[in-house]
Amino acid sequence: MVSRSSAVMFTLPALIVLSVFFVYPILLTFQMSFTNFTGVGVSENIGLKNYERIIGRSRYPEALWVTVKFTVFVVTVQTLAGLIMAALLHRLPAIRNFSRAALFTPAMMSFVVVGYVWQFIYSPFSGGLNSMLNMLGLDWLARGWLGDPSTALYAIAVAHVWMFTGYTTAIFLAGYANIPRDIDEAARLDNVSSFQRFRYLEIPLLAPVFTINIILSTIGTLKTFELPFIMTRGGPDGATRTLSLEIIEQLFGNYRFGFASALSVVMLVIVVAVAVIQNWYLRRKEEL
Amino acid sequence: MLQLARTTGRFALNAAIIGLVVAMLLPVFYMIAMSFRTATEIAQQPLALPTSFAWSNYANALEAMNYLRSVLNSVGITVSVTVIVALLGSIAAFPLARNTGRYSRLFIMLVALGLATPNFVTITPIYVIFRDLGLLDTYIGIILAFTALNLPLAVFFYVGFIAAIPKELLEAAKLDNCKDWQVFWYVIRPLLGPATATLSLFVMLMVWNDFTYPLLLLTDKDKFTVTISVYRFVGNQNVQPDMLFPAAVLGSLPLLVMFIIFQRRIVAGLTAGAVK
Repeated sequence: MVSRSSAVMFTLPALIVLSVFFVYPILLTFQMSFTNFTGVGVSENIGLKNYERIIGRSRYPEALWVTVKFTVFVVTVQTLAGLIMAALLHRLPAIRNFSRAALFTPAMMSFVVVGYVWQFIYSPFSGGLNSMLNMLGLDWLARGWLGDPSTALYAIAVAHVWMFTGYTTAIFLAGYANIPRDIDEAARLDNVSSFQRFRYLEIPLLAPVFTINIILSTIGTLKTFELPFIMTRGGPDGATRTLSLEIIEQLFGNYRFGFASALSVVMLVIVVAVAVIQNWYLRRKEEL
Repeated sequence: MLQLARTTGRFALNAAIIGLVVAMLLPVFYMIAMSFRTATEIAQQPLALPTSFAWSNYANALEAMNYLRSVLNSVGITVSVTVIVALLGSIAAFPLARNTGRYSRLFIMLVALGLATPNFVTITPIYVIFRDLGLLDTYIGIILAFTALNLPLAVFFYVGFIAAIPKELLEAAKLDNCKDWQVFWYVIRPLLGPATATLSLFVMLMVWNDFTYPLLLLTDKDKFTVTISVYRFVGNQNVQPDMLFPAAVLGSLPLLVMFIIFQRRIVAGLTAGAVK
């Protein structure tokens, strides 16, 4: 037990920082979301108008839909790729450490660098991807990856997956390290094939690691704005305009502080709802 | 014979996976190779390796990006945030991990809320508050913003760690008439090394690579972090490869060098931190 007075003293600095730069801003977000504040001057209370606008114009539900597509793609591909890599590396101890570190490297780079490099890789003019396809005789596949509304979002998602697959792999490998050795050995002695061990032994035992990986990547992806901001600015034709990119654009492009706040509130509700539902669902599956 | 076939098969599988891993690193090699080539060379032969080294690419980028200055800014901001977060986080976590009263429970709930809230929810008011307090474009401002963003993680982290310290150790100190701050400073603080190391990795990586806050809060070129100076230098329109690639290399160089030296500990720390 720490005495009451020391408890207050010890937590006071953290409390002040959190109150001024977290609690107060959140309250302010809610308050501003009911106004037409533009950053300067007085703001008028306009009730629910901002929220009506979000629901009423197709632009904002579309941004939400873009965010959902992006998140589902990234989380699915990244989790599967990380799982497969970890399962392979678990069976190949000779190259495990090198591969884990090598795959992790992109996670050390910033979104800005990754965004620019991949933007050029996808560039229709002397970009790396089209040049490689031409070299391999696959010219018909070459296209302006980021200029085409049907491919732009997935092109960005691939860059995102590239960045974090190593992280997912490393977390799965940590899960593998926790699987008791004798279970694995008993299965081997019984001549259970490598794939069957993977399917019926490793996947169920890795359930908690699935939870961690899926929640981490979902939270990270739902709020992403950096790659679309750098690579396409939300274009072409809104195909890559995520919810958080929309917030930034409303804020700095249009100085609609009140409206940006309303979008933030919507985002908070979505993120918290998704986190709670995922946590509940995945934990329940873990217990089965 | 079977043995031989098995060994060869195993070798082939190892080689194939190494090939796959190296293929994943192609964009990094591509970035480095292109950074030494001129725009004309890249336009003519997009995938060729550099034949001569266009150091002028780097000379331009170094100067226009104000590179050394921005590295110093990033180092200063990152180190300050990490130290403050570790300090405030650990002292707050001490009573929170030991007391179970209403105050502690409420505080932990606040911290959990902070962990779950994306920073997008607060950026609009943060911008307004910072402008009104005159904190825009100041080192103090951006350090405070990052501190608030990372503090919930730190408190959460340390609470878990301190709760695992055996009760007897603290009770013995109490019996010796130690005051609470003495217990913290002489008994708990020396035990926090591993927790602080892991936490610092998270905070450093997050702060160093963050794009949102510097974009929002810094407009003075002399205060730019590395990330934002890469962004401002390369720009959004008409991206030039002979500017983009050297800037990208310079922008990721400090962390990549750190990673090559400490890769085992970095991977282990970031993984363990995520799993806990």
